[in-house]
Amino acid sequence: MKLYDQIFNVVKQFRKLFSPGPVTNADVSGSITAEIFLIVSLILSAILLRHVNVLLAGLVTLILAIVLISNIPLIPKFKIEQEDSLEKMIFYAVVTLSIIVVFLYWGGNLV
Amino acid sequence: MNELIPLMVIVPLMAGLLISAFSKFNKATKIFAFVVAICLPIIPLASNYGLHFFGGYEPIVDNVTSVMFHPAITYSFTFLQQIFIAMIGILTFLVVFIYLTKYKEISGPYLFLLFLGTAAVTAMLLTDDIFHMFVFFEILALAQVGIVAASSIDYSYEMALKYMILGSIGSPIMLLGIGFLLAMTGSVNVTDIAVAVHNGLVDITSPVFLLSLGLIFFGWLYASGLPPFHTIKSGIYSKAEPHGAALLQSFTVISMISIVLIMFRIYSTLPIFEVLIVFFSILAMILGVSLALTQTDFRRMIGFLAVGELGFIGLGIGLGTQYAITAGLFQALNEIIITALLFIGFGAIVNATNEVDTRKLGGLLAYHPKVSIMLLIGGLAMAGVPPLSGFQSKLMLVQASLSCGYPEISILAIMVSIATFVVFVKTYYSMFLKPKPTELKVENMEVPRAMIFAMGVLLIIIVVLGIFPDVVTAGISNFVGGIL
Amino acid sequence: MAQTQLVILFTSAALIIIGLYSAIFIDNIIKKIIGISFIEEGANLFIVAIGYKPGGVVPILMPGMDTSWFAANAAYPLPFGLVLTSIVIGASTLAVMLALVMVLYRRYGTLSTKVMLADTSKQEEYNE
Repeated sequence: MKLYDQIFNVVKQFRKLFSPGPVTNADVSGSITAEIFLIVSLILSAILLRHVNVLLAGLVTLILAIVLISNIPLIPKFKIEQEDSLEKMIFYAVVTLSIIVVFLYWGGNLV
Repeated sequence: MNELIPLMVIVPLMAGLLISAFSKFNKATKIFAFVVAICLPIIPLASNYGLHFFGGYEPIVDNVTSVMFHPAITYSFTFLQQIFIAMIGILTFLVVFIYLTKYKEISGPYLFLLFLGTAAVTAMLLTDDIFHMFVFFEILALAQVGIVAASSIDYSYEMALKYMILGSIGSPIMLLGIGFLLAMTGSVNVTDIAVAVHNGLVDITSPVFLLSLGLIFFGWLYASGLPPFHTIKSGIYSKAEPHGAALLQSFTVISMISIVLIMFRIYSTLPIFEVLIVFFSILAMILGVSLALTQTDFRRMIGFLAVGELGFIGLGIGLGTQYAITAGLFQALNEIIITALLFIGFGAIVNATNEVDTRKLGGLLAYHPKVSIMLLIGGLAMAGVPPLSGFQSKLMLVQASLSCGYPEISILAIMVSIATFVVFVKTYYSMFLKPKPTELKVENMEVPRAMIFAMGVLLIIIVVLGIFPDVVTAGISNFVGGIL
Repeated sequence: MAQTQLVILFTSAALIIIGLYSAIFIDNIIKKIIGISFIEEGANLFIVAIGYKPGGVVPILMPGMDTSWFAANAAYPLPFGLVLTSIVIGASTLAVMLALVMVLYRRYGTLSTKVMLADTSKQEEYNE
């Protein structure tokens, strides 16, 4: 019953996502699909870590699954982080650049 | 006739300049633009394969080490370049044709931007010189910004400025990476650099070499619109005129593959290179499709879908086997055609209704049956339904990742295809099948004939490539065998 | 003499880092664009520094010069040629950006990035 309530809340939260304007059936079902797709695909790509270490892959997959499912309306949070304002775009671009540079300079030979 | 090779770049560039200069002669400019646009796909098809050295500086052989040096800017023209340049030529022709028939008074600068972009991507594909590639990459960015800013859609200037600002972070970083390579090898010719790397003249484990990979890779992310640039890339698609967006996405795909092929030739010995590409491709697939599912503006939705599909190309190249790279490049070719079809088709709907919100649309099947059928086939091709071309390339990708020992990637690719299909069906339903809202006015009933013609041509290419994929894949496979 | 090159390299690194900093933290759009153009200048400076040769001569072969002496002492000319092209591109990019800022300033009456280049997807999606 608790999970049902949670899913019901998810649908309620989608209303904010599409405001202003009405929320249609197609939009809600699309957002729920996106929600499920996001969880499944992230977990699936975490399994790819098994080529590094099997134990690590199992651990990461399990933790990722628990974290993602317990925070279930993911798409609203997700969408806010990827809106069109220049600040967020530049922030993520520079963060990615620094991660790539740091990772390659010190860890590029580890793979 | 290798003299035709530089003409592929010079013809659109000169034509653009002439059109821009003489745009007050409306009729003559229209005819000239049309003739040049027809020439664009014909030149690569008529040209022979070969190399072109600018200034006539032939390669020099060092007698001591018997290594060849290329002092000139070199253009190499093979089957891969031929097929992609011909395809971009066809697309430019269709887009220019749509533009010329749509407006009575044409704008010379806008046509100049279209031709400039075509010339830039052609040069990026042909060139064997990494700095030359960078120069045209910057010119391409300027052309893209111009095409976006020229549209009459709200907030197009804002989006263009955002793209430009992000670009002025991305491209100097790439220039810095090129500078690192120049410092290590003393050359900007890709063949020379690759020979130096493979002969062990450059220490490939040195942090400087790895750093140059990281910096050029970041520039590549900007060029191809993979995360973190997926929002801006889908944004500029949605802010351009629909036919402009059809051309913009092809520019993105071509610049993506031309840069990644250069990076592949230089860095393929590093295992981290393939890991990086696969990581960002998977991220692009997940983010692109899941954000496309939540959009209500259908132009933005196709924009995100286009970004998600780019992940497939990156996946093919990241897997690194001959079969996988062939699949990735074939997917790139298919994506250029299919996404262009979708942009032009949905653009016809914008033209007819002046509405982009899927919540306010509906019941258009009765008004535009031809457009809706063609769009349906295009959507099926994008989702990978046999016997269309998207199916062939996605099947090849799935097989390639299975044979490389990554079944997870195969499952992910299939899931992304299914989600793509969901996005398409959702939008198709709410635009064409759902009952028509009472407040929706279908303004001009006729869809421009040029748009129907363009969609028909693209559809024929999709079906032909779907039934006879060997026409293209055999040649691409040969090319890939050459660079491995 | 190698110190000269080192100083140039540190300067270019500083320029790039200042540029990245201003890209994130400065709100005024003109200042932000000036800051971002520092990244371009840093990259150009780096490439110029590659061609530096302590005690080298200008890479122009004059009549009467010994070819082998020239080959040993001339600076490497390729980076300078590249930088010249890159500066021209950078200037045109800057011009386009500032032109767009001019248009947007007339529309918004402010130079704040937070106002001018904010998220616009909500407003346009459901305008009546």
